Amino acid sequence: MTSYIRTNAWNNGGTFKNEALLWYAKGVGEMQSLALDNPNSWWFFAAIHGEYVDPSTTWYVTNSANTPVFPDWGFIPGMPQVPTVPLPPYNIKDIFWNQCQHQSWFFTPWHRGYLLALEAQIRTAVIAAGGPSDWALPYWNYFGPGNEYKIPPAFTVPTLPDGKTPNPLFVTARYGPKRDGDIYVVIGPNDANEKCQQDNTYTNSYGGPTTLFQHAGTLSGDLEQNPHNLVHVDVGGIINNTKYGLMSDPGTAALDPIFYLHHSNIDRMWASWNNAKNDNPTDPIWTGGPQASGDREFIMPMPGGKSWVYTSNDVTDLSKLDYTYDDLSLTASPITFGGLTQRLMKLGNAPEAAMAAGEKSMNEDDAELVGAHDGNLRIRTSGVRVKVSLNTDARKRVSASLTAASDAAAPDRVYLHLENVQGEIDATKLKVYVNQQPVGSVALFGLRRASVPDGSHAGHGLSFNLEITDVIDNLFLNNALNAKSLDVKIMPDRPVSDDEKLTVGKISIYRQGQQ
Amino acid sequence: MIKLKKRSRINILLLLISATVWIVLLFNPGNMMTIAHCPVTDAGASSASIKMLLAMNPFSSLMIGWALMLVAMMLPMLIAPIHHVRERSFKSRRSRAVAFFLIGYFAIWMMAGAILLAVILMLNLVAPQSYLPAIAAGIIAFVWQCSPVKQRCINRGHKHRPLVAFGIAADMDALNFGIIHGIWCVASCWALMLFPMLLGQGHFVAMAVVTYMMISERLEHPTALKWRLRFSWKLIRIAIAQARIRLQGLLTDSGQSSTVSLDS
Repeated sequence: MTSYIRTNAWNNGGTFKNEALLWYAKGVGEMQSLALDNPNSWWFFAAIHGEYVDPSTTWYVTNSANTPVFPDWGFIPGMPQVPTVPLPPYNIKDIFWNQCQHQSWFFTPWHRGYLLALEAQIRTAVIAAGGPSDWALPYWNYFGPGNEYKIPPAFTVPTLPDGKTPNPLFVTARYGPKRDGDIYVVIGPNDANEKCQQDNTYTNSYGGPTTLFQHAGTLSGDLEQNPHNLVHVDVGGIINNTKYGLMSDPGTAALDPIFYLHHSNIDRMWASWNNAKNDNPTDPIWTGGPQASGDREFIMPMPGGKSWVYTSNDVTDLSKLDYTYDDLSLTASPITFGGLTQRLMKLGNAPEAAMAAGEKSMNEDDAELVGAHDGNLRIRTSGVRVKVSLNTDARKRVSASLTAASDAAAPDRVYLHLENVQGEIDATKLKVYVNQQPVGSVALFGLRRASVPDGSHAGHGLSFNLEITDVIDNLFLNNALNAKSLDVKIMPDRPVSDDEKLTVGKISIYRQGQQ
Repeated sequence: MIKLKKRSRINILLLLISATVWIVLLFNPGNMMTIAHCPVTDAGASSASIKMLLAMNPFSSLMIGWALMLVAMMLPMLIAPIHHVRERSFKSRRSRAVAFFLIGYFAIWMMAGAILLAVILMLNLVAPQSYLPAIAAGIIAFVWQCSPVKQRCINRGHKHRPLVAFGIAADMDALNFGIIHGIWCVASCWALMLFPMLLGQGHFVAMAVVTYMMISERLEHPTALKWRLRFSWKLIRIAIAQARIRLQGLLTDSGQSSTVSLDS
């Protein structure tokens, strides 16, 4: 019998009538009452994910006069009042702070341990306040029916049900996708969706690229790229370049209590993906955690002054961790098949076989460059539109594979690769079009830190893969795959000021052979 | 039969070349790696002693020795940028792109080598058979190693920028990437490379230690620029972790194996 069951935050309308939310609010309030340097505090936990409070970090933000500015924690508006002192000693900061694993195949296991540690802290506070001993963190399933794409109402009211106590779940710097305080996730085939749940391999696909000894990752796994990143930026939103939502940036995200319910849902999606017979990596470099590659280990402060060091392998089995979810359905909505899959199905293949025909996701080991636009591109409010030239031989190989497409001769998958996206405002989504057809959106969560020259990403910025196999297959079916170039357009979802430098280092097209 | 991934095959090839050259260097053929002396060269700086020193140590021979040392020491550190270049090139252009990158990279190191070897020859004239130059170089290397400038060079060495894909511009860009990568690498490692060259004895061991230091510090994440005692244990940590994994694998006989490579 599992002791802890994580339930839907939208139960009882997502209000404080949902007791799990009410106790969460009280637990958050208790953690917020502790000092920044207390490992059990809300602020310390937020800094475990990422922070802009330690001036000695390379990503601490200052203006041209070397004065700290937003998003440094001292400049966060309204509620909650975020402390900036006392900082913990260096050795404590170095062990615990800024651990978050993004653009890495450790994204899922690290965040699972992080949630468990936070949940243990909140549960301790809940029990001390006379709450249920089996309290568990709720999840926000934005893919659920009805209004569930919206933030549960308990997060938007200024006070607890007593009408007096300030609501610890209420956050001022949360602006939403339309920048009007209406907080919801934009759901759609080219926005946040559950498509990642169709993946059937973890490495280079669902969970992200292999993170080996020299970490220079810029690519996210499918789950991280969509929905994770998009939800962060949708919820956080932006008013202007010096005022954007906490959720939009990894260095402020975990200050917002909705962060943990978002990640509870991401964790639930991973658990349901595993539940659907999809396997995690067995390579000891993954199971052993980053310490197996000589890197910093995962470590969390636990109640009672203890620390918990864990590996990926320690958190893959929910039953061993003594918790589960009340819903482990793979997706909330029926799976929609892509055009190529539908074509293979029309040719008489079963859906499973048609989907499996293209199971190999893009990986740098054997992907082949098909086309490129040479030169750095600056993105302005009106977006950017370029011709991406195709290499004749590589294009012919794609064409040949589509000609022979069947479940026995899996065709190439084709990807649009945005390389070295750099800038300073994470609260940005880019909508990408190929030959006027939308192929998806990417959210620039983590952009600022990844663009810092002396940061752990060496200033590479972020990179993204968007699958465009269906667009290429359509060209092929219309005898138009002999084109010398593809028309690619990138549109930001917000005004980009003249002094803001938002760039894409290169746009490339890759093919991933399936044989 | 184990089928190795393309990346792994390239990694193994580079490591094998490096290991082979290390073995060659171990035997120091023609005394390429050390400066030979005689009573004339030990008599202090003079026209005769310079002539004798160059006669006993032809500059071309020293440069060949330097080139071999570079291949042995630097090739393992070029695994990540070589993959970067290869994977951003059209299939038909991959080899030449990598070749242009290597030409640019080694050209910078050979130029640096010419300067460093000239300095070494000069020091052998001024202070022949003395440990003083080695001690001085050791102190300079230590200070450089602790400096924020050194960290900046390491950080920039991690930078793998986008590359041009089409035409001659692609070749020139690969060459340029090699040059830039070489400049940061020279700026980071010149002092460490100078030190073993000035040792009269223990040259080979010092080279091995310096190689460890250079590879290990390159495996660390880029970090803040500040003065610090900079010695990386990461390669040792990796070795211990991997040994433990393999030992556990043998004990549990799980049949699983891990891929060990120095990829990024």
